[in-house]
Amino acid sequence: MEKIRNIATTVLFVIIIFGFSTVNIIVPDARLSFSERRLLAQAPAFSLKDVLGGDFFGKFESYTLDQFVFRDGFRGLKAFMNLQVFRQKDNNGIYIINGNISKLDYPLNEKSVLNAAEKISRIYNKYLKGINTAYAIIPDKNYFLAETNGYPSIDYDKMAEIMNKNINGVKYINIFGTLTIDDYYRTDIHWKQESLFGTADRLLEEMGISIKASDIGYIQKKLYPFLGAYYGQAAVKTEPDTLIYLTNDVIEKAHAYDHYYREYGSIYDPEKFSGVDPYDVFLSGQKPLVTIENPDSTTKRGLLLFRDSFGNSIAPLLLAGYSKITLIDLRLVSSEALGELIDFSEYQDALFLYCTQTLNNSYMLR
Amino acid sequence: MAFSSISFLYYFLPVVLLLYFMVPFKAKNFVLLISSLFFYFYGEPVYLFLMVAVSFTGYIHGLWINRSRNGRYAKISLISSVLTCLAPLLFFKYTDFAIKNINKLFGLDIPLIKIALPIGISFFTFQILSYTIDVYRGNAKVQKSFADFTTYVALFPQLIAGPIVRYTTIEKELSERTHSLEDAAYGINRFIIGLSKKVLIANQLGEFGEIISRSGNKTVLYFWLKAIAFMIQIYYDFSGYSDMAIGLGRIFGFHFLENFNYPFISKSITEFWRRWHMSLGTWFRDYVYIPLGGNRKGTLKWLRNIFIVWFLTGFWHGAEWNFILWGLYFALFLCLEKLVLLDRLAKIPAIFRHAYTLFIVLISFALFNGDGLSECLYNLKGMLGLLNIPLVNTEILYYLKSWSVTMLIAAVGSTPLPKSIIGRLKKYKKASIVMNIAAPALQASLLLLVTAYLIDGSFNPFLYFRF
Repeated sequence: MEKIRNIATTVLFVIIIFGFSTVNIIVPDARLSFSERRLLAQAPAFSLKDVLGGDFFGKFESYTLDQFVFRDGFRGLKAFMNLQVFRQKDNNGIYIINGNISKLDYPLNEKSVLNAAEKISRIYNKYLKGINTAYAIIPDKNYFLAETNGYPSIDYDKMAEIMNKNINGVKYINIFGTLTIDDYYRTDIHWKQESLFGTADRLLEEMGISIKASDIGYIQKKLYPFLGAYYGQAAVKTEPDTLIYLTNDVIEKAHAYDHYYREYGSIYDPEKFSGVDPYDVFLSGQKPLVTIENPDSTTKRGLLLFRDSFGNSIAPLLLAGYSKITLIDLRLVSSEALGELIDFSEYQDALFLYCTQTLNNSYMLR
Repeated sequence: MAFSSISFLYYFLPVVLLLYFMVPFKAKNFVLLISSLFFYFYGEPVYLFLMVAVSFTGYIHGLWINRSRNGRYAKISLISSVLTCLAPLLFFKYTDFAIKNINKLFGLDIPLIKIALPIGISFFTFQILSYTIDVYRGNAKVQKSFADFTTYVALFPQLIAGPIVRYTTIEKELSERTHSLEDAAYGINRFIIGLSKKVLIANQLGEFGEIISRSGNKTVLYFWLKAIAFMIQIYYDFSGYSDMAIGLGRIFGFHFLENFNYPFISKSITEFWRRWHMSLGTWFRDYVYIPLGGNRKGTLKWLRNIFIVWFLTGFWHGAEWNFILWGLYFALFLCLEKLVLLDRLAKIPAIFRHAYTLFIVLISFALFNGDGLSECLYNLKGMLGLLNIPLVNTEILYYLKSWSVTMLIAAVGSTPLPKSIIGRLKKYKKASIVMNIAAPALQASLLLLVTAYLIDGSFNPFLYFRF
């Protein structure tokens, strides 16, 4: 019996290490990981300088990790072990409540929030004096899920307090009460466009616009299955979402002008649904500077929308009250360059709309 | 290259195993030598030449000592071997420490050399020293083949983090060793156990320590958890590495000595150090403590010898004052135990002896786990509640709850309980059959699990690499 056990031990070990070694060499390398939404490391180019400097082997380590066969399966195995066997409450910061996936964002980084507030103040003082300006904070999913389920949660009131204290002359619009956890995708960080009428109405009203987004007629277009950013990070099988976008004749006629590439596109790009980030359906994803125009607008009001990715889905709803909206992503364009890129006299309103996670990690705002 | 890496498990190891078992016995050492040199080159391309050079000086000194033994140059050759062997270690590991202290003491501003420490230098230096001293003492035969000697020094299973394998331990096996299915299976089992200890427990606890360190508000419980997690992590990290080294050695036909023997079940600090990093403890005993006179020259000299050995033990672990303090801290308790405590401890229930030992060891690792003396003192103050911070908060309770199963498994696994249960079950024929069938499947599952954790994990340092 002992001998059989020894043979089995040795044979299984040999099969695993030689088997995976061979398969890893044979299977062609992948360029990107859809589930993790990132480019995968490729085999490093050989150079004597890199080898002697140690860089080559460092890159080779990353390459072996990224290109290991059944990578997603192994990631799922680890998630299962951590959550089900070791009974950890999160895996790599990702936790799941009733099929709703979220990522811990803790603790409150007061310096980062202060940095965001100062950034907004600087932009206001430099460019927006005389323009009706407001800011709003979008609660992340943790606001609804974390504390009530025993997870550490940042002090959202304190975050708002830091912002209020350090932004002068800019109105605060509180939209926390307009949202619930059901207004967010279960597998993604973002909110659902079809659930944003209350939020859009509040923003329009506070900006002094009498038109309500909820009074406008929209047609729902559905895309399925939508596996959001958290789905890939969680590495656990859960029910996919349906991505719904709202359109009508006005939106269909509207154009989105990409200032960087100097080209016109549409408000929605359903082809992006099969790309790395299906949320890019809204305004074709992250772009530094995009202007959308409402050809049927009865007003001549223009809105500058400083935003993160959440802004892409709410902007088409806000368009009901504006003739044009220019969306500015400060993660991709420096605030110092805005004077050369935008004619501020064309805009009557400005809105800073950022998710709590962006404010808590605000050093990406340039 | 770390054992717990995809590159080692699925690239380096299969190639080495294939080559090693394909070639005739005469060529096996050559395969081991070349693969060991590549193994070191992978992690430290530039320092490979240093390691080979130190090995060469050890080899040459071995020949010189052997030739001059009993002659008038005997002691000179020994002193020369010790100095030339220690010189690179002193230079790379301790120069900046010396400069920093000279600067502080004399108000100078001598620039630091800021040179990276060659991986494993503390280990291979001590191995070479043990060889030359043993040749001088006549305990080991001189090795006439430089290739075989370098194979001993560079042998990849134990090259970078021990255990400190003495030349006498594998002297015979360098030239004649056998390979068997039993040894291979034992080695594989031991390697996978070590790998699992490292990846599934040590890395997880390390990550736990990192996460709670990033927490916003510190509490007393935080400092205790950090210390406990580190104490268990370093045990699993280092003993896991030793298990892997012993297992790999066995696959290649070498029998390395044990390095750990359930240190956390010790009932005194004296016992703890008989169970923790045994290869280092016995090295200092045989090459420093006994030559100084051990306990044979009166109580005062005995205590002096203990303090010297533990000063060196602390200093060996790192060129910082907290490591020296850590060593002297153990010296103090070892002296106290030898003079008074051991007799008194023997009279109290075992549970209190365990508690005493674990508490002293826990505090020692709080000293050990700091970036310099001030951080260590800060950690200790935090543990003792002297930082004016709350006892607990919801955040630390969350992390305690989230990691409690991992910590519990780690705590139980650091005792002989699992081994004892398996031993008892084996007495029953049916259970023994089931275990014989289940063992290979369990080992394979662990290997796959480790692979999963490596692929998805980013936290994978070997704590003892820095020594």
